[in-house]
Amino acid sequence: MLSRIADSLFWLARYIGRAEDTARILDVTFHTLLEQAPQPHGVRWEPILSMAGEETLFRQLYTEPAAHNVFEFLAFNPDNPSSIMQCITKARENARTIRDRISREMWEDLNSLYLTLGRFDPQEETAAGPHRFCGRVIFGSHRFHGVSDATLPHDEGWDFLRVGWALERAEMTARLVDVQYRNLLALTSAGGTPDNHQWMAVLKSVGAYEAYHRQYHAPIDPARVAEMLILNPQHPRSIRFCVTEMQTSLRAISNTAPGSYANEAERLTGKVLERLRYSRIDEILDDGLHPYLTGLIHQFNTIGEVIARTYFYYAGVA
Amino acid sequence: MCLSDRGLFSGYTAGPFYDEMFSAQGCARSHYARLFEKLGVMAPTQFEDRRKHADLSFLLQGITFTVYSDGRGTERLFPFDLIPRILPQAEWARIEAGLSQRVVALNLFLQDVYGKQLILKDRKIPSSLVYSCRHFRREMIGLEVPHGIYTHVCGIDLVRDSSTGEFLVLEDNVRTPSGISYVLENRLVMTRTFPEAFQEHEVLPVNHYPAELSRILRTLSPRTDPDAQIVLLTPGIHNSAYFEHSFLAQQMGIELVEGRDLIVDGVVVYMKTIYGLKRVDVIYRRVDDDFLDPLCFRSDSMLGVPGLMGAYRAGNVALANTPGNGVADDKAIYAYVPTLIHYYLGEDPILRSVETYLCDRSDHLSHVLSNLPSLVVKSVGESGGYGMLMGPSAAHAEIEAFREKILADPRNFIAQPIVPLSVVPSYDSAARCMAGRHVDLRPYCLYDGQEVTIVPGGLTRVALQAGSLVVNSSQGGGSKDTWILRGEC
Repeated sequence: MLSRIADSLFWLARYIGRAEDTARILDVTFHTLLEQAPQPHGVRWEPILSMAGEETLFRQLYTEPAAHNVFEFLAFNPDNPSSIMQCITKARENARTIRDRISREMWEDLNSLYLTLGRFDPQEETAAGPHRFCGRVIFGSHRFHGVSDATLPHDEGWDFLRVGWALERAEMTARLVDVQYRNLLALTSAGGTPDNHQWMAVLKSVGAYEAYHRQYHAPIDPARVAEMLILNPQHPRSIRFCVTEMQTSLRAISNTAPGSYANEAERLTGKVLERLRYSRIDEILDDGLHPYLTGLIHQFNTIGEVIARTYFYYAGVA
Repeated sequence: MCLSDRGLFSGYTAGPFYDEMFSAQGCARSHYARLFEKLGVMAPTQFEDRRKHADLSFLLQGITFTVYSDGRGTERLFPFDLIPRILPQAEWARIEAGLSQRVVALNLFLQDVYGKQLILKDRKIPSSLVYSCRHFRREMIGLEVPHGIYTHVCGIDLVRDSSTGEFLVLEDNVRTPSGISYVLENRLVMTRTFPEAFQEHEVLPVNHYPAELSRILRTLSPRTDPDAQIVLLTPGIHNSAYFEHSFLAQQMGIELVEGRDLIVDGVVVYMKTIYGLKRVDVIYRRVDDDFLDPLCFRSDSMLGVPGLMGAYRAGNVALANTPGNGVADDKAIYAYVPTLIHYYLGEDPILRSVETYLCDRSDHLSHVLSNLPSLVVKSVGESGGYGMLMGPSAAHAEIEAFREKILADPRNFIAQPIVPLSVVPSYDSAARCMAGRHVDLRPYCLYDGQEVTIVPGGLTRVALQAGSLVVNSSQGGGSKDTWILRGEC
């Protein structure tokens, strides 16, 4: 497989994952806020902007963090490189450069998602609220996963897609827990009452709400939410699950047996995974959730860079 | 079966041009009779539904080309017209023989020009004309190419002259002709849109093209390794023919590479894979000569592979088509192709060329300058309908500007009488009716050094603007499926 193609598959998956994550968070946050008493804008929308990592850009482009501005910014704005439309556009560009290597069905599916989303009118949607648009994005991402699984040979190309998906999800979940935990606990210590609804929203935004109840049969508790999203071995959006996926796919690419590693990306992934496997949530909380998650995000970035160095770039011929 | 009473064709009149579907009396020609019967009973709304279905199918597949005129790079559909262009097999057989003859002669010409140059020594073509061709590559002189093949893939443009009904050769494309993917996709969409029409006609198939091209590329490999690595080199996603590049690579099951995917080490070409470097044996390149290798041709090229020509020269990699082919499709050399056919094959050309005036010949030049309003003037090194003057439709100022250009550089221009192109009924979506529109035909010829293989038909391009003679997609042209009917004469 050409390095450029592996690179494109990896990023294709990451962009679609990013679009889906943004759509989920946007949709859930918006609808949770609808059911709450009015609060100053800053409290409501800042976390979602910092999760997307684009607070500074937002402030340059808009005067106030009102719901419709945040929606417009995260869903449509062409000047926001992480906006959903930009992610889908870039995913499609990546797919177009490798359309001879992905299945015809994958290309046509992604192209039709791009065309469908392109027909949404930003002004009309901003007025109608994010549910319709975000629902389409989430569904489109799921469908693309399904089409890929069913039509692409499960060779190293498939594994690069899986690494991309898993890495993007792992990082986004880490950001989500970090930002929400800080935000909601800060609210508590300031005398506010982050009711269950806000923690429910966190779970819903990663599609883990029902799973939480099946797992714990208990009221929503911040520590359990963190445990669910960081350490759960089965939920497809928990960090541990995603890192396990990364390890499986990276090993498949290099054909490495369990218990060993063939390159730096596998070594770092294995190290992160071992810590996740043998940690308890109370230890993590005692040591400080924020430094723990910041550390993870940093390691995910490093792993991304190392994968690129191992498989995508050539310094030249030795 | 005549026109007058037919719904979808109501109001259609055979105009002053050769109508491929109807005789001058307005009756369907025999090879179009069954289709006319079928379409004649169709309600315009039914037809419109199928047309939308076909358009949607192209859109969803992303079969688009990119237009840069608005500065943003807009993707547009290449308009597809649902009325097929039909030719009887007997007529096609003659075209096929004529094209094969032409391809073999052009290949012999390239062997000669870059080899012994006998044709120049015998003074059948002026040496100055050959050496002044923009795409003549002195780097290719004396270089032995695999199996002596230069013209692996040719697209030869034909037009039917309304005054005689005869097919003429309008131009040769022997560098990196494009459009075959539309032939294959048009056929696919057509069989999905009008399945019943195919049941009643025996249309010769076209979809063996990628397999045939792949076979020829494989024979070029310098290594006998059964796993010879064949790649298609594309300038990338921004090239207007990018869809075709990825389509062909996928159909042939070969790697689609960009210049940055390849590297030359020790005069061997490798591609960069996730498991390290892998040797490349054959490159079907869709990058122009100029950009192939910055060490050999244009040094500012970002699309090419430094050292590629060195590896080619060493015989470690094969290229198709061969660099330097542009000398054979230069529009001034075109005037000499009948001479080439006589010289190399001792035969008369089966397909005639359009009468051509070379502006660097003083007798021709004075004729051209005094008849500009009735001629088409073309710049010799251009393609795609760029750099052209259509005398009859040009404004006075435009003609005068061209006159200056011609006088400043006569070698760069040729002129031809306007050929009154034949028409085929085509759907005018604005007026919602059928109207005769001018067409040309580009068959695709594959040459393995022994035999020329031509997929039956080719790309019929249609000038969708009323009265327009320019069929290029960059200038508002569309295309049609082309049917060669078995056994029809």
